[in-house]
Amino acid sequence: MLIVIPELDEEQVESTFARFRTIIERTGGEMKEMDYWGRRKLAYEIDHRTDGFYAVMQFTAGDRTLPELKRILRVSDDVLRHMVVKLPPDYARNDPSPEATEAPA
Amino acid sequence: MKKKPPVKLGYVDYKDYNMLRRFTSDRGKIRARRVTGLSPQQQREVAVAIKRAREMALLPYVAGQ
Repeated sequence: MLIVIPELDEEQVESTFARFRTIIERTGGEMKEMDYWGRRKLAYEIDHRTDGFYAVMQFTAGDRTLPELKRILRVSDDVLRHMVVKLPPDYARNDPSPEATEAPA
Repeated sequence: MKKKPPVKLGYVDYKDYNMLRRFTSDRGKIRARRVTGLSPQQQREVAVAIKRAREMALLPYVAGQ
């Protein structure tokens, strides 16, 4: 899951998400599902921003995917927050809704 | 005190913040197990999910005021 800053327009937001999709695919991962939540209010202010664009990506990771993805997420100024979470093997059966993401703020 | 019936949960997903709200007080604090009636494992899963949701600004760290 990642949150993109609200200053961008829809097109820029889309290209941001497309960028991460490319990174995942370039490093041997596979995008399973991409769930765009759209603009949402944050539960609390982050860097004086009250909302952001949310998206959840569910993907498989190759050997280089996670270090590379996390590095780029960290240095991307347009990403407000992100989280990569490992899903349980039976995740899809529990709930058809997608996901993917973990920690550093 | 009478024991509460067990609660069925399945995989506790941090993205399902509306479901997680059931386990927080109106101040945003995580409810104690004697209030939620969850097993130790479930309580832990719920607590972790709430903390993840907080990190992604889906749930507040401090609610109200």
